[in-house]
Amino acid sequence: MNRETLRRLEMLNQLSLTEEQKDDVIRFFDAREADFEVIDKFFDTADVERMVHVMPVMTVVREDKVIKKFEREALQQNAPETDEGYWCVPRVLE
Amino acid sequence: MRYETVIGLEVHVELATDSKIFCSCSAHSYGAEPNDHVCPACCGMPGMLPVVNRRVVDFGMKAGMMLNCHINRVTTFDKKSYYYPDLPAAYQTTQWFAPVAVNGTVEIDTPAGKKAIRIKQIHMEEDAGKLVHDLREDTTHVDFNRTSVPLIEIVSQPDLSSAAEVEAYLERLKTLLRYARVAECEMAHGTMRCDVNLSIRPEGSTEYGVRTEMKNMNSIEAIKRAIEYETARHIDAVENGTEVLVQETRRWDDVKGKSYAMRTKETAGDYRYFPDPNVMPVVIDDEWYDSIADSLPELPEVKFERYTSEMGLGEYDAEQLTRSIALCECFESAVEVCGSAKDAANWVISEIMSILNTKGMTYDMLTVNGETLGRLIVLVRDGKVGRANARRILADMFDDATIDPEAYAEKMGFIVSNDTGLIESVVKAVVAADPASVAAYKGGREKALMALFGKCMKELRGNCDPQVLRVVLLAEIEKA
Repeated sequence: MNRETLRRLEMLNQLSLTEEQKDDVIRFFDAREADFEVIDKFFDTADVERMVHVMPVMTVVREDKVIKKFEREALQQNAPETDEGYWCVPRVLE
Repeated sequence: MRYETVIGLEVHVELATDSKIFCSCSAHSYGAEPNDHVCPACCGMPGMLPVVNRRVVDFGMKAGMMLNCHINRVTTFDKKSYYYPDLPAAYQTTQWFAPVAVNGTVEIDTPAGKKAIRIKQIHMEEDAGKLVHDLREDTTHVDFNRTSVPLIEIVSQPDLSSAAEVEAYLERLKTLLRYARVAECEMAHGTMRCDVNLSIRPEGSTEYGVRTEMKNMNSIEAIKRAIEYETARHIDAVENGTEVLVQETRRWDDVKGKSYAMRTKETAGDYRYFPDPNVMPVVIDDEWYDSIADSLPELPEVKFERYTSEMGLGEYDAEQLTRSIALCECFESAVEVCGSAKDAANWVISEIMSILNTKGMTYDMLTVNGETLGRLIVLVRDGKVGRANARRILADMFDDATIDPEAYAEKMGFIVSNDTGLIESVVKAVVAADPASVAAYKGGREKALMALFGKCMKELRGNCDPQVLRVVLLAEIEKA
């Protein structure tokens, strides 16, 4: 972890850290990285299946069937502004 | 110095499901009013939970198998964060850590022979909504009908090296996915979209150059033009220092024939991918996996071989039929009923494909049932319905797939008459009314016979065995 990476993380997570907090975070990440180096050194995880979830659970799936449950007017009741069936937002153009 | 172009593609394909990926709204909004196919889930209302559409996973697996991929038997969904009004939840549910299919290959034909293009991964995800910018000056209008429509994204390795190879690759993808019936893959309809990642390097080098990405191109011709332009721009920058290449996303303007910088290319970190806590892992057990593996279609080249070597068709006919799985299925069912591959191929190629072209329909939109076509072919072969009337029945079968050819021919008065008395009386009247043609035929003009034959057939509304008519007509001319 370095200052540049931390700066990017701050931006992505919309955080603003003090210098002292930054030092703490860097120390924390460096320590965790060292932990992983230890794990890498003593355990061969090449054949260990990746854990995708902490619980042995799986999703339910549904049939591919169209069900119309909602009318547009009901969904747009809380909209600040609508026009001809559209939601309206402040103009955006790239 | 000679350079080679290095191209990798990200191809988005809209899956042919009825409903959306995480809710039961219709996935087909063509012609619909804005926001008519929406619910709290696909509008991104707080607290709404997604429920996975099983057929999306079926199609993701099927696409993976068609592209020779390894299927991840435990596949997971992740959140990709970006903030824009076409994405109401401010994240896209996609697959990052364990996509449904990985490590495949697609083989394409090149002038130098077969070439294998490696597939990095295929992941399932939801589409974004549509923004309309031109209804009012101060406002962007948002339509969520397309939000959560299921997509797969097919990510290739950078193994392509020319516009021609890209075209061959995209055509091959289309064929394979259409054969598997997982997608329409029509770029003009937006059901197949393509991002092109491109760089150049000196020939023989193994290092990659600076990569640019061109997004959302919607025709193969535009993609080819964009690749040629972008390759030339990169070479010019490297050779002549005309500009400094940077990793960025660019927009292709097909009218002006130029690409423009849109934004600096994001990296994966910018999207803050993280496992979606609202969708548990999808676990594909053996039964599910096998049911998909068993449903894979015969590949077009295998069908071609079978049609030519086992069924005796010519290469042209086999090539025409294998252009679409729908044509193949219609042909094969017709052969089962009529017993003649040659007859069935003739009807599919000369009649059905021509009607589809006239109607502006793609071959995959064919609704005519092959078994019904087979019965129609038998009626013609047995002399019960004339070919011209059979064509009319076939044309009507496009509008009404439930038509029974025998009953319909009866109803329309198309059954060939064996009433020789009627044939003779019609022939007599036609011959008597056209002595000039009779004289011309007797004088050696063969075409005059065809004119008389045509008049008789018209009077009989086509319901006559041509052989019988010819015999009766020649006898009557002899007497005249």
